[in-house]
Amino acid sequence: MKRGGAAAAAILALLAASTGSGAGLPGDSLYQLHAELTTQQAATVGFDVYRGHPTLISMFYGSCPAACPMLIDAMQVYESQLDHAERARLRVLLVSFDAARDTSRALARISRLHHADTTRWTFASASESDTRRIAALLGISYRRMPDGDYDHSLLVTLLDSEGRVLGSTTKLVGDAEFAAKLRAATQIVSRAY
Amino acid sequence: MWRHAWLACLLQPYLCLAAADANPFVAVPGAELHSALPLGKAQSVRVRAFLLQRHPVTSAEFLAFVVAHPQWQRGAVPAVLAGADYLGDWQAALDPGPLVMARQPVTRVSWFAAEAYCEAQHARLPDWYEWELAAAASATAKDARADPAWRQQVLDWYAHPGGGAPGAVEHGVANVYGLYDLHGLVWEWVRDFNSLLPPGTDPEKFCGSAALDEQQKENYAILMRIAMLGSLRAADTGRLVGFRCARSLEGAP
Repeated sequence: MKRGGAAAAAILALLAASTGSGAGLPGDSLYQLHAELTTQQAATVGFDVYRGHPTLISMFYGSCPAACPMLIDAMQVYESQLDHAERARLRVLLVSFDAARDTSRALARISRLHHADTTRWTFASASESDTRRIAALLGISYRRMPDGDYDHSLLVTLLDSEGRVLGSTTKLVGDAEFAAKLRAATQIVSRAY
Repeated sequence: MWRHAWLACLLQPYLCLAAADANPFVAVPGAELHSALPLGKAQSVRVRAFLLQRHPVTSAEFLAFVVAHPQWQRGAVPAVLAGADYLGDWQAALDPGPLVMARQPVTRVSWFAAEAYCEAQHARLPDWYEWELAAAASATAKDARADPAWRQQVLDWYAHPGGGAPGAVEHGVANVYGLYDLHGLVWEWVRDFNSLLPPGTDPEKFCGSAALDEQQKENYAILMRIAMLGSLRAADTGRLVGFRCARSLEGAP
């Protein structure tokens, strides 16, 4: 009897597996990763917080002296090239490498410093393991240096509303091809969820 | 017979638990490591004592995992977490088939899958420095990297890793910690593989001997491994890329 019960449970488990996780997401969607973010508003959201919208995503850290402020500026320049309606569809997610120092309060300060539109921009941090997973998923390499700085690659990735990669750039200025992809992505009216 | 091990796992889960016990965690004492990675101004890095599995995770051990965690079965895993070749040498999702030995290291696993496996063992992947520290040991010395005979032996495998499937684990001798197969069978994922190459580094240039000083030339085999791991993406799978798990020791010096 006991054995039969175990086998039945196992079969149920196998059936459950075939339905998969990530409700209807395509297999190449980055939102297949389940990661938890803490935002500048101290809210806990999923990595797929902007599912349903074309989204720019990158990683940074708040105490970064030069490269990261430039990265954030560059993302603002890219979105400033869109018209009002296009920009209204776009979302921007910046995930910190440095959860220890980039608390919600620190993230909120960075957001204010850059006059980010918080209706469409999220600054967030994650646990050490989720941070590493998100970086791995995006193909961003990073290393914490002994002085507390981070050596990291600069990469901005554009996702469609379902989390699939449409393009990416390592150029902080003047990547015309990337800018064109961004415009095309924001011209398509996103499906609502 | 082991091909039907998954059935046994379903009916008698302790069989699979027993399989996990066959790959115990072995203590590696903390040490100062002269890493092959550039450390900036520092000469060495402090590695705290940790636990590392005795051998790379085997096919049988990984099979028990995918039975218990169906979302990691071939065909169920999203492409973004494991590439098309994930467990590609297995006959079916729950059947490695006659050509895959139970005791051979599992390969063609992505970093995400390796991480999930270790998490299920209440463990994690080792950090690079931990792996490097453990892999610097021979059967008799904690740091054998200056021993020409040992170095040659390691280098020979990197030069001729063999065309077939990896052999069975624990076939050779254990190193001084009691760990097997850190060289000679497979490459192994580490938790921070995406920190190994400085951003923008071309793996070929990194690996090229022109970029190396004398001390690094002695570590050529290790540098090849760093370049290889650093060039992988987390969803990639490789014919010779496996892994083993590690655990931190709370309060370790």
